[in-house]
Amino acid sequence: MKKKSQLMLMGAALSAVALVASGCTNAGDGASGDQVTLVVWDYYGSASPIVAAVPEFEKTHSNIKIKVEPLDWDSMLDKFPVAVSSGAAPDLATLDMTWLPTFASGGLLTELDEVSNGAINGQALSEVYNEGALNAMKYEGKYVAALYDFDAYCLYYRSDILQEKGLSVPTTWAEMLETAKAMAEDTNGDGNADKYAMQILPDSFHFAQYLNQNGGSFLNSDWTEAKFNDAAGVGALEYMKQLLAAGGIYWGPDQGDSTGMPGIKDERIGMFVNGPYMMGVIKDGAPEQSGKWAIAPAPEGKQQGSYLGGTGLAIPTGAKHADAAWEFLQFLLEPENQELLFTVAGAAPATIAGIERPALTAPDPYFGGQSPFEYFEEAMSTATPFPYVAQWDDIDSRVSEALEGALLGASTVQDALDGAAKPVNSELSK
Amino acid sequence: MRFSNQVAPVARGRRGGISVLPRKFVLHSLLIISSLLMLFPFIWALSTSLKEAKDVFDPSGGVIPNPISFDAYVNVFTKIAFSQYFLNSVIVTVLIVGLNVLFDTLAAYAFAKLKFPGRDVIFGVLLITLMIPSQVNLVPLYRFMVWLHQVFPFLGVDTLSGIVMPTMVQVFGIFLLRQFFASIPDSVVEAARLDGAGEWRILWRMIFPIAAPAIATLVIFTFLSAWNDFLWPLLISNSEASRTLPVGLTLLSRKNTVNWPETMAGSVVTIVPMIIVFLVLQRRFIEGIAAGVTK
Amino acid sequence: MIAPAVIILGAMSLWPMLQSLIWSFTKYSGLGDATWVGLNNYLDLFQDARFQQATLNTVIFAVVTMAIGPALGLGAAILLNRKMKGRAFYRAAFFIPVTTALVAVATVWKLLLNDSGVINLVLELIGLEGHQWLGDPNTALLAVCAASIWQGFGFEMVIFLAALQSVPVELLEAASLDGAGPWRRFWHVVLPSLRPTFIFVYVIGLIGGFQVFDQVYVMTQGGPVNSTLTIVYYLIDRFRGLDLGHASAVAYVLVLILVALSYLQIRLARRWA
Repeated sequence: MKKKSQLMLMGAALSAVALVASGCTNAGDGASGDQVTLVVWDYYGSASPIVAAVPEFEKTHSNIKIKVEPLDWDSMLDKFPVAVSSGAAPDLATLDMTWLPTFASGGLLTELDEVSNGAINGQALSEVYNEGALNAMKYEGKYVAALYDFDAYCLYYRSDILQEKGLSVPTTWAEMLETAKAMAEDTNGDGNADKYAMQILPDSFHFAQYLNQNGGSFLNSDWTEAKFNDAAGVGALEYMKQLLAAGGIYWGPDQGDSTGMPGIKDERIGMFVNGPYMMGVIKDGAPEQSGKWAIAPAPEGKQQGSYLGGTGLAIPTGAKHADAAWEFLQFLLEPENQELLFTVAGAAPATIAGIERPALTAPDPYFGGQSPFEYFEEAMSTATPFPYVAQWDDIDSRVSEALEGALLGASTVQDALDGAAKPVNSELSK
Repeated sequence: MRFSNQVAPVARGRRGGISVLPRKFVLHSLLIISSLLMLFPFIWALSTSLKEAKDVFDPSGGVIPNPISFDAYVNVFTKIAFSQYFLNSVIVTVLIVGLNVLFDTLAAYAFAKLKFPGRDVIFGVLLITLMIPSQVNLVPLYRFMVWLHQVFPFLGVDTLSGIVMPTMVQVFGIFLLRQFFASIPDSVVEAARLDGAGEWRILWRMIFPIAAPAIATLVIFTFLSAWNDFLWPLLISNSEASRTLPVGLTLLSRKNTVNWPETMAGSVVTIVPMIIVFLVLQRRFIEGIAAGVTK
Repeated sequence: MIAPAVIILGAMSLWPMLQSLIWSFTKYSGLGDATWVGLNNYLDLFQDARFQQATLNTVIFAVVTMAIGPALGLGAAILLNRKMKGRAFYRAAFFIPVTTALVAVATVWKLLLNDSGVINLVLELIGLEGHQWLGDPNTALLAVCAASIWQGFGFEMVIFLAALQSVPVELLEAASLDGAGPWRRFWHVVLPSLRPTFIFVYVIGLIGGFQVFDQVYVMTQGGPVNSTLTIVYYLIDRFRGLDLGHASAVAYVLVLILVALSYLQIRLARRWA
């Protein structure tokens, strides 16, 4: 009798759990027939070009339902490896291209050749993408993601202030220093620029920009050893330091905002180097500065060059509906849906046909009637992705550390970079 | 036994009436200033949530927003599913608290008042788990939830049950209650047994009422940690339908561009229910914690 | 009666613990097979400068918060341990942060500490210079400590309040009869009787302090220049890099530290009590 009441209580408790649980699982997975529910993990957030493409896709593919689960960049990084390696993979995910080496080497990504037959929407890959993009999509010679939007850097500047101060658009590193110096103001006299300053971000992306322009690279050609602490690397970081001293504002990760939007808004930032997605960000965040901004190719160092990155669409290992995911992936790469990247998220489509869409080449009043896209397209042609080694995650944090240390004056440029190179080399030798 | 209410070094001025006033004045000024300092972050969060995004860092802004805007709250509840998150948080918290009271009490009673082989060994093993940082269990636990979800689609990963299960029994709770139960004389239990009462009846009719203060402590601690837990719910919940407030808040605050009014509105929505619960149950809260830790 | 608890704890706690203990001796990316590497993961950790930094930061965090938090808590408890007007209000003001989600208050602190945030604004108003609190490697960890102390000391206050209530009046009266003033009574009667409470506060506080994570995750993500990298944040970082072997090893190093600390505290407690 004691047992009985105990069991009853247990039963009641368990059924309470079950009740709640079942109320919150979404139906669909077990649906009958050919009906498939595709789960997509999407880090674009509230302005998602993927969400925008869903209704049209579902109309033309009546057997596929799309369930988009919105995440942000960091949460994706936290959740994706755990979920996929535990067999709870979504069917399709947006991944930052810099994550690919770690994820691909961990076996988390399906090789696209398995589903693609070498073509996207009936076109050969080489017709869909330019060569830089194709290289960025490969890990150890196999395609593991399809580039969705791309990121390559140009110079954003406050054209109104430039004009007011009688300056011209800088085209070389030396001119850039002069312009930064002439443009920035120090309103509180503490020796640091705090108005119209050049934004200096201590991250691998921006270091890559200067490194490439200075003829350097992160690793040697067979990716076995650090090279970022050679003369070209030191020169690149020294230049960042000079820029910071001349008229720069340090924008560390503690700002909680990698875009610099608060600083752009209150006019602490007057110039910065960043990717096309920033066009959407500043239009959204600072509509009152419309007409005051312009874009130009990033000032040239020893050579043209840029960081190349972006978002890839990948089908994780263990995806339940890889074929349907491939259908949707191809759909997202169709030119009119690539255009959504620009119109919805303000980002840059990665396919050749996507970049040529009329919406992208139209003059943009926010940027004083410029059609800035061509500059980014140009930048992409000389851009280099990060080295695709499994240890990139680690290299990235070591390099960022060195950048922060050197830019904040905690150590000299050479020491900081050497200090990062040592553990990187020992990691690479494993 | 008599207990003292006046043990502080600055005990009430007995020596003369003159020193009483300034001393009181100093004391209250000190307390008022520090209270305001303590509450300031909340006041500022509330103030920011009612500002327009462009005014957040306006140096002349002050505490009272001008103009007052409720847009952030509207957005948080319409653009983002905060009402769903809120409901989920309530369900998860109620379940975790309820299940802990049930399971922890049962186990604690058994460990304290029943004799069975291996009792102390099992208890010792359970205590070891207290030392493990919960983060290390994330991946194995996640896999367990994936497996469970495959066997029972309504349980495990991406369901509220997945959030609840890892903390529905807590060693801490068993430990706390066992200490309390142990202080109840065995003779009381023996007498009841002789009167023919079953263990079940003894537990619910006798022990449970006596143990009310300790159970209150358990409820409070569990309540706090369940409502505020964040990393595990973040991992285990994929769809909006299974996200809790702290998860929703993190997603909100880490978007590429931080919208401070919206982020603060989310924080306020997460924080305020706890403050209200605390204010309503203030005495119980403080006495509950005290009872739990001074035993 | 213990069956439900034991079964649940076995599945949700013991089993995962054993699994990660095994992983800590392997090289394992989460997919495919794990390869046995013996103690190598542990040895790697001791040679890794980042892990050393993380351990150092964690120790600093624990020491700073444990040096200031309980002192503030005891101070507040002493001030509030009497009948007075507004006592409930003051007590609530000090305790409310304890009830709130770390994620939420860490977000609020990020706003307060922002470059153009209200803290710098006030500093500039009174003629001091603002500072990039979370951006400067020299101050970021302290800023995280400050937010944590603010959030946590109300808990210690409540515990000390309870303990003060149970100081036997007879002892105090005896001391008064011997002519002891308030300070002497405090040092010689009150403080000694608070010993068990101190031990409790420090055991709980140190275990919590060594596991600090949420604040760092929200406020600084371990930066700048690793200045706020803590042991548990390092562990999560290893997870992200699909390095379950090292991640698990980190957890067990932490367990060893905590077991050693708890043992030490219990020894000290025995000697003092």
